[in-house]
Amino acid sequence: MTNATDRESVPEPPNPIGMDGIEFIEFTTSRPQALGGVLERMGFRPIARHRSREVELYRQGTMNIIINSQATDIPRTVEPIERPIISALAIRVRDADAAYRKALDLGAWEIPVRARALELNIPGIHGVGESLIYFVDRYDEFSIYDIDFRAIPGVDPNPPAIAGLDFFGIVQYVGIDRTNDWTEFYSQIFGFVAIPDTVRFGIMPRGLLLQSPCKKFYLQLIEPDGAAQYAPIEEQLQRIGLGTPDVIAAASELEKRGIEFLTTDKVHTSERGALTKAVLGGVMFELVHAEAGEAKSLS
Amino acid sequence: MNFNDFGIDSASMAGSLETRLAAARQAGFSQMMISATDIVGHPSSTDAAVRAIRDSGLRVTGLEALRDFEGLTGKMHDYKLDVAKSMLVLCHRIGGRLLLTEASASTHADVDPEKIARDLRKLSFLALPMGIRIAFKSFSWSRTVNNFSAAAEIVSLANCPNLGLAIDAFDVIAAGVPLDDLDLILPQQIFLVQLSDFMLQEIRSTEEQAAMASHFRVFPGEGAHSEELAKFIVKLEEIGYFGDYSFDVYNSDYLQMPAESIAARARRAADWLGETVLRRTLPVPNMERLRRVGAD
Repeated sequence: MTNATDRESVPEPPNPIGMDGIEFIEFTTSRPQALGGVLERMGFRPIARHRSREVELYRQGTMNIIINSQATDIPRTVEPIERPIISALAIRVRDADAAYRKALDLGAWEIPVRARALELNIPGIHGVGESLIYFVDRYDEFSIYDIDFRAIPGVDPNPPAIAGLDFFGIVQYVGIDRTNDWTEFYSQIFGFVAIPDTVRFGIMPRGLLLQSPCKKFYLQLIEPDGAAQYAPIEEQLQRIGLGTPDVIAAASELEKRGIEFLTTDKVHTSERGALTKAVLGGVMFELVHAEAGEAKSLS
Repeated sequence: MNFNDFGIDSASMAGSLETRLAAARQAGFSQMMISATDIVGHPSSTDAAVRAIRDSGLRVTGLEALRDFEGLTGKMHDYKLDVAKSMLVLCHRIGGRLLLTEASASTHADVDPEKIARDLRKLSFLALPMGIRIAFKSFSWSRTVNNFSAAAEIVSLANCPNLGLAIDAFDVIAAGVPLDDLDLILPQQIFLVQLSDFMLQEIRSTEEQAAMASHFRVFPGEGAHSEELAKFIVKLEEIGYFGDYSFDVYNSDYLQMPAESIAARARRAADWLGETVLRRTLPVPNMERLRRVGAD
């Protein structure tokens, strides 16, 4: 069996599909306003609504989050339930169609066109659990939102970020002995690379960290431990990590806005990171110390 | 004795799916190998079969079997890919974590190991998000992969973490494969071991072997090769195999007997192996047993 960490020795990890960060992260819930409230307290602003679907776009600095509450009847895609789940990850790539075709050739599962959140032809594949992964290549001159979305009147379309927050990564819960499998998945399709165990971010040290080939995004794969090992596997995208050069300032500002952070012996706000208390049945955010540009140039 | 390591194959028993699940359960088994035909051939519906399996309390050892998958090109490749996807979805629905895939016996299949490995890699990749492992099994009538050593070479070539081997004791004993060949196999590469014996002392022709394989298998301890079977299993334990054993006893006579009595025979075989041959230690929960203690 291949050891995931063997891949560290590759000198200059390639970027096979020209990945260039995250275009948006999508939540699905049947109660979009409740989640919208949480996002607003986290510093996001609603800036646009989808023209024909129950889909809203929230933005903060460089980050886009979509809340999808559109009912769907396609099997193996997300039915909105009350508890919000991270239902999609849209990845910026050089050529979306080429990336999509390469993924299918490797053995990824395509998703039916009608199941897609947006009406533009954004190709996508199945990811972990019920989640989807989109490939987006139009993010430079005009954006995918220009066509599908209608701006909310009188709202700043580019609300500034609190304490320089931006997308740092996503925590993915995986089943027992599944770290190697998912490392294979993300390395083959996107070119993610496992980074040495000695390099750590934030205050949540467990699991294996994978770095994107564009070095702008991390995935943290976490296997269950303790009693959770005996529970049925529930693999999912569990939480979003937000990077900031000043965790204390960011946490303090977010607390003023009504966000509560965990303060236990093991997990509490520090210069390295912080973790919000779970709301709405499991929605949480992690703050991670990251100098603008510094952590991201690690390799 | 760790009885939880042993499972019965649904194709060993006659009767409805529900009857066979109940018989396995009654005999004390905690797992059963399911055939795709058990599910799609259910008289009510596929949904009813999925429900019956999920409600049975039995763990699914795996789903069998994807056949003649690899080595095809063009439309035939696409067609088989669709078949494979359908089986993976089925496996996922019944909570299965393993799809048994038999080496191709098709004369249309490419014999290039690179191509075979590439196709199996793709299959494994398809299975990956669902948490399904692909257990690739040699097939005596395959032109390329007709013993576990050849299968292991393909698996190594494909190099995907959820791709491994299924080894059938019948094939090993019928073909007289030297047990030392197992020394070259990494234990974590073996995802499933199937066990059965047969009555004849020796097999004289391929026709005879084919007939034996599909109609005249018996449970371990019932046939003419108990000693070889015992040595085979002891060898597997020696190299560090820690996975499931499934009794793939395909026997036309057994299909004319009540499922309960066949499950009881399987139980006797498991007792014989567990108590006499293996002396495996105390049972632990199924999920946990697959985890290699101290491996991380």
